[in-house]
Amino acid sequence: MEDLVHYLVEFASAKGVDYAEARLHVDAGSGVTLNNGIPEPIQLAKVKGIGIRLLIDGAMSFASTNDLSKESLRETAEHAYRTAKASKRLVGSPIRLSQEKSEEARWEAKAQRPVQDVPIEEKFALLEEIEKNLRPDIVKVGLPSRTLVLFDDLSERYFANTEGARIRGIVSRIGILYVLTASEPGKGTVQRIGQHGETGGWERLDAWNAPRLVSEEASTLGKVLREGKHAPREELDLVLGQEVTGIICHESCGHPQEADRILGREAAQAGESYLKPDMIGYRVGTEAVTIVDDPTIPNSNGFYLYDEEGVKARRRTLIKEGVIADFLYNRETAAELGVNSNGAARAVSYDREPIIRMANTFMLPGNYTDEELIEDVKNGVFIKTFMEWNIDDRRYNQRYVGLEAYLIEKGEISTPVTSPVLEITTPGLYGSVDAVGRDVRFEAATCGKGEPDQGAPVWHGGPAMRLKRVKLGG
Amino acid sequence: MNPEQIVTEAVDYGIKLGAGEVAAAVTHEKRKMLRFANNSITVAQSWDQIVPTVYMVSKRKRAAARVEDPNVDSLKEVMKSLKAVMDISKGGEVEPSLPKGPFSYTPVPKTYDGRIPQMTAELVDVVEETMNSALAEGAKRTSGTLVTSEWERYVKTSTGAEGTDKGTNIDLTVRAFLTDDSSGQGISCATRLDDFNPKLAGTTAGRIASQAKNPVFGEEGRYRVLFGPTIMADLLGRIADFASAYYVDLGLSCLVGKIGQKVASEKLTIADDGRMAGGINSCSLDEEGYPTQRTTIIDHGILNTYLHSSYSVAKYGGTLTGSAFFVGGTWGIAPVPMNVIVEPGDCREDQLFGQLGDGLYLTNNWYTRFQNYQTGDFSSICRDGAFQIKNGKIERPLKGLRISDNLPRILQSITSLSTERTWIKWWEVPTPVYVPHAIVEDIGITRATK
Repeated sequence: MEDLVHYLVEFASAKGVDYAEARLHVDAGSGVTLNNGIPEPIQLAKVKGIGIRLLIDGAMSFASTNDLSKESLRETAEHAYRTAKASKRLVGSPIRLSQEKSEEARWEAKAQRPVQDVPIEEKFALLEEIEKNLRPDIVKVGLPSRTLVLFDDLSERYFANTEGARIRGIVSRIGILYVLTASEPGKGTVQRIGQHGETGGWERLDAWNAPRLVSEEASTLGKVLREGKHAPREELDLVLGQEVTGIICHESCGHPQEADRILGREAAQAGESYLKPDMIGYRVGTEAVTIVDDPTIPNSNGFYLYDEEGVKARRRTLIKEGVIADFLYNRETAAELGVNSNGAARAVSYDREPIIRMANTFMLPGNYTDEELIEDVKNGVFIKTFMEWNIDDRRYNQRYVGLEAYLIEKGEISTPVTSPVLEITTPGLYGSVDAVGRDVRFEAATCGKGEPDQGAPVWHGGPAMRLKRVKLGG
Repeated sequence: MNPEQIVTEAVDYGIKLGAGEVAAAVTHEKRKMLRFANNSITVAQSWDQIVPTVYMVSKRKRAAARVEDPNVDSLKEVMKSLKAVMDISKGGEVEPSLPKGPFSYTPVPKTYDGRIPQMTAELVDVVEETMNSALAEGAKRTSGTLVTSEWERYVKTSTGAEGTDKGTNIDLTVRAFLTDDSSGQGISCATRLDDFNPKLAGTTAGRIASQAKNPVFGEEGRYRVLFGPTIMADLLGRIADFASAYYVDLGLSCLVGKIGQKVASEKLTIADDGRMAGGINSCSLDEEGYPTQRTTIIDHGILNTYLHSSYSVAKYGGTLTGSAFFVGGTWGIAPVPMNVIVEPGDCREDQLFGQLGDGLYLTNNWYTRFQNYQTGDFSSICRDGAFQIKNGKIERPLKGLRISDNLPRILQSITSLSTERTWIKWWEVPTPVYVPHAIVEDIGITRATK
């Protein structure tokens, strides 16, 4: 069907547009679920369609259809042409795209054992194995509500534009999602929503050891319920686990350094940024803080080698030793800010415009072992995992509420504490980091942005890190 | 092949494959969107999509698929795969049965306006009017989204239900900025142009942005708060979601096990009304072919019922509520609210400020996240205009605030609702809510500590 993409691009080109690109997606996915041990309906999804984006006299349009007849494609292109022309009179500065190398390439997130070839019995068997490991006699806590989901998708894409780029991409992805509600008589309930995801095939599951992982998570919920004491609220030292470091990197580094937010394009939805275009070089943290976004990590959840504008992907250093080092750009924002795109344009389906997204955002490791991070703390708290979190739409004022957390007393982890709340500004947070651990771990997530909303698969992660003299609250 | 033929072939094919019951739906939707920022249109978007969905039941086994491909052979291929996996799956614990038709469907008034699909250049005029209305109030820049939709849905089941419906929508969200931290939001959403008011949306956004000039950091504490309709829509829209038997079943609801209990102030009555004339999501039938209806969820503070699909009725009892739609998730078809209707109070909007006396007036929020859906502990960021109120008047604009509280407690603490209501539907509130302003007592407010 690549000829349909070429047909669309050539049709648009013949109408005299300044730029045209078309992108075909053929996606298939499935999901199996156990809810409290009972199979839920098996779900299949199939998506096939084409999106086209045009630039005409500085006005941009995007249109899509899943009717792949040539008549429908022509009408889609005509409509994109008409709407761009009509909107031109309310376009301020003409939209431009940065000049980028036009490449012909093929990339793939390979599956050694394609998930599509795995029998449904084997998928349910995995969930049943997880379920078996959640028995009260194993996890030592009641779990009145347990939802286990195994999902996969295979996405094949073909991109072409009027500049000669031709990119074929294939991504196979697999993930598990689990929702656990633990209950202890007289102690109430606590919930955990966990997700793991990678690109690749069924073989990726081996590394997760999901039955053990989810079982351990459940046991932890019981410990929190039974033994947790109220978290302190005074100023103290704080050690944040890898999972917490990851969400922080995503929310208060990745998002505010998306150039479209910095330029105000997302103001009515996902918001803007506390950063301005001229703040490359601004110190936001200590020298211990270096954060990157890298789409090229094999098997990562946010893996890609070419973005949805045909630009080759590469690692971006967003904060280097505490200083704002780079933003995430697509071709539009790169042109506006006088740089080149660094390949951050993603679209989750044929019917979504490519916009700036993170891929895999994480803090680079330091030199400390986890034990060393703890042993220097006389009075503090260790927050290993989190539950509630949010951040304002300028990515400045954020909050993370710990799930598994402990007091640190005289350099040692002691009593579990419940719901410690870190509510802090972005410079306040990064400016308090005095030590960073050695071991990086990634978490899978689905990042929301854009209108219509685009839930993009990402990883975020990092090592444990230590913050000096911060006040817990909430 | 037209959508009507697709659903007929899908149902026939499902039965031929050996499924006990089949429900098929095809939605054909044409949408247009103008996005704007910095007083400039950033992109014009459009979609033309035909999306078949199918749900098959065989005794205790269920399966569902969404196929974004109008080719009926693609749908049949997926159905064949579905049936194959159904045959080897273990099945659930109950035997659901689709509603037995035929049913008669009465069209919902005021849900279609033939002028809306014709708008292309006129949409640019609407954006311009919106921007100018906000700028006239003193705002310096505007951003937002204008969306139109024309949709048509066909539903057919093997149990004798068959019907069709169509509608139009025009939805506008505008955010106006005086400075980076002085902003306001306006919304207008409607099914007909006669009920659509972009000028008012722009004026509202611009006025709030101007009132929010030079905000200072607020202080943490507990406050009596006047919530604007956008915040109430977020909170009460979530309550309507939590009333879905689907979320109750997953344990992701603070309404689990509370039917018949007092879950809110007696001043609060919430209904889901799929049949409201001019309702943003109104339609005459759900995707199991059952007629939509008005369902009172909370009646003067008492939780009356959950929203149901055929599966949840089989599992939990109760009666169908005409709320079954293909939403993905783990059920495929699940009960969802269509139009969340909050009954009005007895105090005019302008009088609420006097009634508030001293407290906070918060106009918008975003990024609501829960620690625990069953307890309802959550926080949400205040966005756009936030004001300290003294003696019923705006004392000063505030910034940096977060609502950190418990949703069930908030429901119990509503002391006053306005007589005026407005439709709210935007990025953070996907299900339309028709909602008043409200005064709520003793709201927890927190802020960053460093």
